[in-house]
Amino acid sequence: MESNALRIHVNDNVVIATRSITKGEPVLVKGGLEQPLPAAEDIEAGHKIAIIPIPSGGVVFRYGEPIVQATRAISRGEWVHVHNTQPIPGDLKE
Amino acid sequence: MEFLGYKREGGKFGVRNHVLVLSSVSCANGVVDAIGRALPEVVAVTHGYGCGYGPEDLGVSLRTLSGLIDNPNVGAVLVIGLGCETLKADFLTQVVEGKPAESLVIQESGGSAATTAKGIDIASRFQKELAKQNRVLAPVSELTVGLECGGSDAFSGITANPAVGAAADRIVREGGTVILSETTEMIGTAHILKRRCATPEVGEQIERLVNNHERHVRASLGDLAGMVIAPGNIDGGLSSITEKSLGCIMKGGTTPINEMLEYAGRPSKRGLVIMDTPGYDIDSMAGMAAAGAQLILFTTGRGSTAGFPAIPVIKVASNSRTYKNMPGDMDVNAGAILDEGKTLDEVGREIFELSLAVANGARTCAELNRSVPFNYLKQGPTF
Repeated sequence: MESNALRIHVNDNVVIATRSITKGEPVLVKGGLEQPLPAAEDIEAGHKIAIIPIPSGGVVFRYGEPIVQATRAISRGEWVHVHNTQPIPGDLKE
Repeated sequence: MEFLGYKREGGKFGVRNHVLVLSSVSCANGVVDAIGRALPEVVAVTHGYGCGYGPEDLGVSLRTLSGLIDNPNVGAVLVIGLGCETLKADFLTQVVEGKPAESLVIQESGGSAATTAKGIDIASRFQKELAKQNRVLAPVSELTVGLECGGSDAFSGITANPAVGAAADRIVREGGTVILSETTEMIGTAHILKRRCATPEVGEQIERLVNNHERHVRASLGDLAGMVIAPGNIDGGLSSITEKSLGCIMKGGTTPINEMLEYAGRPSKRGLVIMDTPGYDIDSMAGMAAAGAQLILFTTGRGSTAGFPAIPVIKVASNSRTYKNMPGDMDVNAGAILDEGKTLDEVGREIFELSLAVANGARTCAELNRSVPFNYLKQGPTF
């Protein structure tokens, strides 16, 4: 089975497409996902795909670290990018 | 492990033996360019500054230009000045020791044409002197390697940057020095970097640096601050600066952070150090060149062409498409991690071995293309 996506960290809720994935095509990750995951839309190489549902306001994790926050509910298999996320607001630590 | 370098007075080793011809002020650029046309093998460096600086910019200019002159890859230097600028040509040559250094002042040398003729004589004499020097064995611990990224994409953080990180770890294990740069691209990662510092003091310095920089960016850009990433990065799949930053700091590898340097500062420690530089690649590379980096590892996703004067820059493509689309610009394909089944460590070893080959004299794509833009940090108004 040839993979078409990379899961960088075990705590991540997104994977990264390693080549363009068309709508309906299964998202295949080395080591496998818990359940089969068809892409909900066309996704370009390098872009993120949700592997579990992310609620509105939910945090997107990559490298095991929070990177952005969902601005609406994102379903499994959906493209995750600037159209449905925003930078995490937060005051400076000090 | 060893490489073959040019030994300088003071014990440093150059991986190149360039004659540098440098402007002290932009008004001298015409003469510097003319010398460069007459002698294509000299490294002719011009810039847009030099007339009047505020105190902070004067300090940065002095550190940057004298640091570039002092870089071990420079075997001899000729500085061309106009005569009425703040940072004088002869001052720049006086602060540098241990290599042939001369200056010419256009207003005192009979104008542009006469200064060009004198400059060609001096630079060709330097070339003849340097041609007599031979490479000698030097330990890899004498290498200082700058790390840079430009035109990142979503693969930079999973292929090229961690592969460069693996190479950085190897250089540090050999006793060498690597400089992680680009403060803008550390925003959102202060807590991670702090954890990795050798001492609590360095950790606090880095946390303060990154947080102050974030505050500065927020003050300038408000709600848009999180989106301080070029449109190319967004097209490539990166959604926020934190996402990009996490990918960026992976270039530094996994060893402790031993020191924090101001822009164009000289490291006093070996191993991994961090320099406060802007995200703009050329300014950032200038800071590291001034710190004495003889080599720069530069990762790119979209395909950057930028090298740097006198410093070989190794381009590591994050994906095979860019590597194949720009074959004369890319030195290493980290995209092989995605589509050829190579491991990060294999590509890291490839980058390390290529670094030694380049240190021994192999030319990088940017050197062959003579793609060597120069610019450096300037913050205040000019006078």
